[in-house]
Amino acid sequence: MRKVLAIAGRELRSYFVSPMAYVVLAFFLGICGLIFALTVTSPQAQADMTGMFHTMVFVALMMTPVITMGLLSQEQATGSIELLMTNPVRDVEVVLGKYLGAVALFVLVLIGSLEFPLTMSAFGDPDWMAILAGYLGVLLVGLAFIAIGLFASSIVANQIAAAVLGYVILLFFWLIGWLDMASEGVVGDIAKNISILENFQDFGKGIIDSRPIIFFISLTVFALFLSVRSLENKRTI
Amino acid sequence: MIRCEGLTKYYGNHRAIADVDLSVGEGEIVGFLGPNAAGKTTTMRILTSFIPPSGGTATVAGHDVVTDSIESRRSIGYLPETSSLYKDMRVRQFLRFCAGLRGMGRAETKERMGYVLDTCGLEERAESIIGTLSLGYRQRVGLAQALLHDPPVLILDEPTVGLDPNQIIEVRNLIKGLAGDYTVMLSTHILPEAQMTCERVIIINHGRIIAEDTPEALTAQIREAETISITLAAPGERVERRLTDMPEVAAVRNQGNGVYHVDTSIGSEVRAEIAEMIVREGWGLLELRPVEMTLEDVFTQLTTREEGVE
Repeated sequence: MRKVLAIAGRELRSYFVSPMAYVVLAFFLGICGLIFALTVTSPQAQADMTGMFHTMVFVALMMTPVITMGLLSQEQATGSIELLMTNPVRDVEVVLGKYLGAVALFVLVLIGSLEFPLTMSAFGDPDWMAILAGYLGVLLVGLAFIAIGLFASSIVANQIAAAVLGYVILLFFWLIGWLDMASEGVVGDIAKNISILENFQDFGKGIIDSRPIIFFISLTVFALFLSVRSLENKRTI
Repeated sequence: MIRCEGLTKYYGNHRAIADVDLSVGEGEIVGFLGPNAAGKTTTMRILTSFIPPSGGTATVAGHDVVTDSIESRRSIGYLPETSSLYKDMRVRQFLRFCAGLRGMGRAETKERMGYVLDTCGLEERAESIIGTLSLGYRQRVGLAQALLHDPPVLILDEPTVGLDPNQIIEVRNLIKGLAGDYTVMLSTHILPEAQMTCERVIIINHGRIIAEDTPEALTAQIREAETISITLAAPGERVERRLTDMPEVAAVRNQGNGVYHVDTSIGSEVRAEIAEMIVREGWGLLELRPVEMTLEDVFTQLTTREEGVE
């Protein structure tokens, strides 16, 4: 575990050494803040975060491939992966370390976004349990997004390609929900069950159900597993 | 401490190394010598478990590099060929990160940090960002991380590449100072470097080991003539004939622009005589120096000989 934390700590620090952490924070809080300002100043404004959480999930979709694109691809491009992988660390420890480093940045972003419900509570009486459920949902979505982005970064040695690949996979899980409306029967059911938006729906409303929790955790574990296999595969080339 | 048996590696259809057998004893400093693309880095990458072999086995400190790779990696300090350091980190920060990767405790890290910073002459640069350091200093950081966890085995891939002459001497002395305490395997394509630092030399070419001996024995065995290079300001027509007439001189080769290469028999010291003759003849001696035997010469010799046998 110490080795995992060493890698995670290095990764988090490097986000703050480069402009990455600041750009991501500004981007996320800026867009969410804009939407927040527009909604709370409308005449029918309510102390309700449902819309905000959907915005946050959408911004997370745009943001996470940028956070994760360099995680493993940059190491491959600069050759520093040689030093990392000749140290007495398991491939799974490398993947988990990188993953936790990116997750830590995402959690910091979410902590920053607490300004929205706090502002709301100063002027109204929001349902804190619903907000908790919403944040749990956004966190689970973020965990899955980052795992998928990390997988993309493990496949290609080019950062931009890693980001694009990350977007492609995420958009697949995002857009497949539309099939639900277009087709009947099994296809529609499958599409509905693996759609990110469908699975997030309940959290936004303040409902915590086990099914979407299991969905997001499974997606995360699967993507991390593929990342480990991809890293192992890198050795044989 | 290091043992390879029948080590083979294919990259696709390209065979990088074939049937490499070698062993390095405890406390030995061994030079791994070969031209570029001979298979040095591939062999070292297999030993450090960066890539698996296609065939054969390798053990480091008694641990198989494939089946017991965490343990074998733990006993190795590795300096990769390209300085693959994190350029955005500070030197001390980077070394602390390496200590974390190797599971070193706080007290141990502190003690070893002081030692490696001192040994590698990095104390004044401990807070510098690695990306701003010169190539020489980066190489020292690479050495520092290799020494950090006090491993019994050091594998150094071209440790002096890219350094200026002063730094090369420093690094060589540093490596020599490690003799006895560590088992060192270092790769190089410079023969004099191997001669200066290593007790034993293993020569690899086209992925196969072609010779293995002490540097002295190896050069003596290969060298059939000593070559002297002379540069003349006003070479006369009779230069070649006059020189060839000397009993110790085997051959004279005109290299153009007044430069001649004179092959003399081993052990004969004729430089003074040649200089005297040149002055007497008034050819205007500009330069007279022995030609160091280069690795290329060794290879031509070794490979042509082998082919001759076959």
